[in-house]
Amino acid sequence: MATKAPSPQADRSPIVAGLLSLILPGLGQVYGRQQYRGGVIFISELLAVLTAVWYKVPAWYAAPAIIWIWNVWDAVGAARGRLRSTLLPIAAALIMGYGIGWQITNIDLPALTRNSHRAAMILAPMLRPDFLSQVEVTNTAWAPVEVPCGPNPPASTNTINGITVTISPNCGKLNDALTLQASGLWPNTETLIQWSTPIGDRLPLGKGFITALYVPADAQGNLNVVIHVSPNALTAAPDPTLPLEHRVYLTQSHPQAAMQLSKNGAYVVDGIIQTLFLAFMSTTLGALLAVPFSFLAARNLMGGNPLTLSVYFIVRTILNILRSIEPLIIAIIFVVIVGLGPFAGMIAITLHTIAALGKLYSEVIEGIDPGPLEAIRATGGNWLQMVRYAVIPQIVPPFASFTLFRWDINVRTSTIIGFVGGGGIGFYLYQWIIKGDFRAVSSSFIAIAIIVIILDYVSARVRSRLV
Amino acid sequence: MLKVEHLTKVYPNGTVALKDVSFTVNDGEFLVIIGLSGSGKSTLLRCINRLIDPTEGRILLDDADVTKASSGDLRQLRRHIGMVFQQFNLVKRSSVMTNVLSGRLGYVNPFLSLAGIWSRADRDRALKALDRVGIKDKAYERADALSGGQQQRVGIARTLMQEPRLILADEPVASLDPVLSHSILQYLEQLNKEGITVLCSLHFLDLVHRYATRVIALKDGVKVFEGLPKEINRAKFKEIYGEEAQEVRATTVEEG
Repeated sequence: MATKAPSPQADRSPIVAGLLSLILPGLGQVYGRQQYRGGVIFISELLAVLTAVWYKVPAWYAAPAIIWIWNVWDAVGAARGRLRSTLLPIAAALIMGYGIGWQITNIDLPALTRNSHRAAMILAPMLRPDFLSQVEVTNTAWAPVEVPCGPNPPASTNTINGITVTISPNCGKLNDALTLQASGLWPNTETLIQWSTPIGDRLPLGKGFITALYVPADAQGNLNVVIHVSPNALTAAPDPTLPLEHRVYLTQSHPQAAMQLSKNGAYVVDGIIQTLFLAFMSTTLGALLAVPFSFLAARNLMGGNPLTLSVYFIVRTILNILRSIEPLIIAIIFVVIVGLGPFAGMIAITLHTIAALGKLYSEVIEGIDPGPLEAIRATGGNWLQMVRYAVIPQIVPPFASFTLFRWDINVRTSTIIGFVGGGGIGFYLYQWIIKGDFRAVSSSFIAIAIIVIILDYVSARVRSRLV
Repeated sequence: MLKVEHLTKVYPNGTVALKDVSFTVNDGEFLVIIGLSGSGKSTLLRCINRLIDPTEGRILLDDADVTKASSGDLRQLRRHIGMVFQQFNLVKRSSVMTNVLSGRLGYVNPFLSLAGIWSRADRDRALKALDRVGIKDKAYERADALSGGQQQRVGIARTLMQEPRLILADEPVASLDPVLSHSILQYLEQLNKEGITVLCSLHFLDLVHRYATRVIALKDGVKVFEGLPKEINRAKFKEIYGEEAQEVRATTVEEG
């Protein structure tokens, strides 16, 4: 309470003051010449009552009741020229605040341990980040099957890479048994057998159709096994009665003593590069556009006459509003306008950067020392020389420092801007989270952390030299 | 060399900083302006090189009317008028060398100077100017790495680059301690003896007695005294500074 209360005078009736405060909290204090105190008490009591009513928990009526009683006692004190300690009502309000806060945030500490199996499901794969994979040499072939049976099923024997695959019968409905025969495979090697729908979805054929089916080829490279049409084979079919060609794939692989970027690892690298350049472009663009705005938002330049002053207020207001909206929300709007992808993210971050840097730059401009400007004019320098030798040296290092810091922030922002479709690593990350591919999630976490730590360090080092 | 006639300055907010001030500065003088803070000393000095435009009156520098000069002519005039400031007015982040070179801006090709290109001759001149004020070894340090006294010496080196005929010094030692005050004023005295006219505002009366060849006193923008330093006796002092004023000495150390 910054306002200084006028010193109390003991010239009011304590009984009247007490009664007034009993009827309306704060009124007795106003009567006792403590208008400000009375106002604060009235508003506090009102808020306490409204909160208790809104949350409908009877126990919470204790807090407004305590404040009400205290307020009567305080009004009597004020009338006698004494100010009472505010400890009790503040404590009552705080206890109520934390109690309701606890309920609203649904604090449920046992939940942290209750679902340990779920935690294990996520954390175990996260310990094996999907970034590198072993190089493998593969041997693969397939044969067609028609589901359901039509009038002219395709020839069910197919030879690829010297491997001949035959399926009989060559058509069937869901769960039908089919005999699969193959020759020309690598001998004595495990062979992965998968169902492939017409749109290319690979379905497992093992136990319960959820585990992968591996069958070894014999010493001659032959294989003979009964498989069943996957019950999920028609999930994506537009018309389940229409006969379509499905395939059964056989894949053998030999791991080599070499590592390569895995498929998801390549996506991580791609996403990180996209994120870095997204941040780089939007910081540069934002910084360039922020410069003219910052001059318009600098009071020492715009305070001269009413017209420029009104421009100053308008620009300031626009920057303030723009800055208060999260880039994530701006991105949602631009995803609708320009479509999914990094461009929408770039626009969102650029707008936010203009607002944030515009304000910081304008404060730099407001803070420049006018002395050197005067000194350069006094030597006979012209206006441009004054800007070059007195203004630029004063503003460029802080501008550069703020810009670098902004790039740092923008990299962080652009890692999540993809969650709403704004491109970058977040775009992949979001899909991996939905798919439950926590190995890929883990590798993108690590990649983001490394990039952010490096940038943090570099920008701090460079900034310490600039300032 | 300098003639100030009926100079009046009224600021847009109505403050009357100078009221009908007239005086003449002769070649080779060390003229000191005294007066309370707010008496118009800074405004007067800044009117002479038109960092502030006077409201009325004329300023003649060797018969050239400063008050009527076009902006191009004004820059030509300013080249020969050096200025030393109370707060030094250096660009703190720039090197000492750049600060000194900036004193040469009125002479050089504007395009080259905007690109930051300086001739060998100007660089040598800057080093010589720094050598004269005894801080040649600091040439490539940042200006804010220097002490206050050293910064003011950079300020003097900067005015030397202008090859000035007149130096305006606005409270050049008010931000410095007494011993440094003497060393700075001795540089100005040295330049004065070499033929540069000095117009300087000062606070401390003992410094006035030590360095001034002539004194002007301002009170509320009006000239209330003009004469030799020794003519300022106790009564005059009270008249200039007001009845309650006590004289504060900058230092009792007399240097020779």
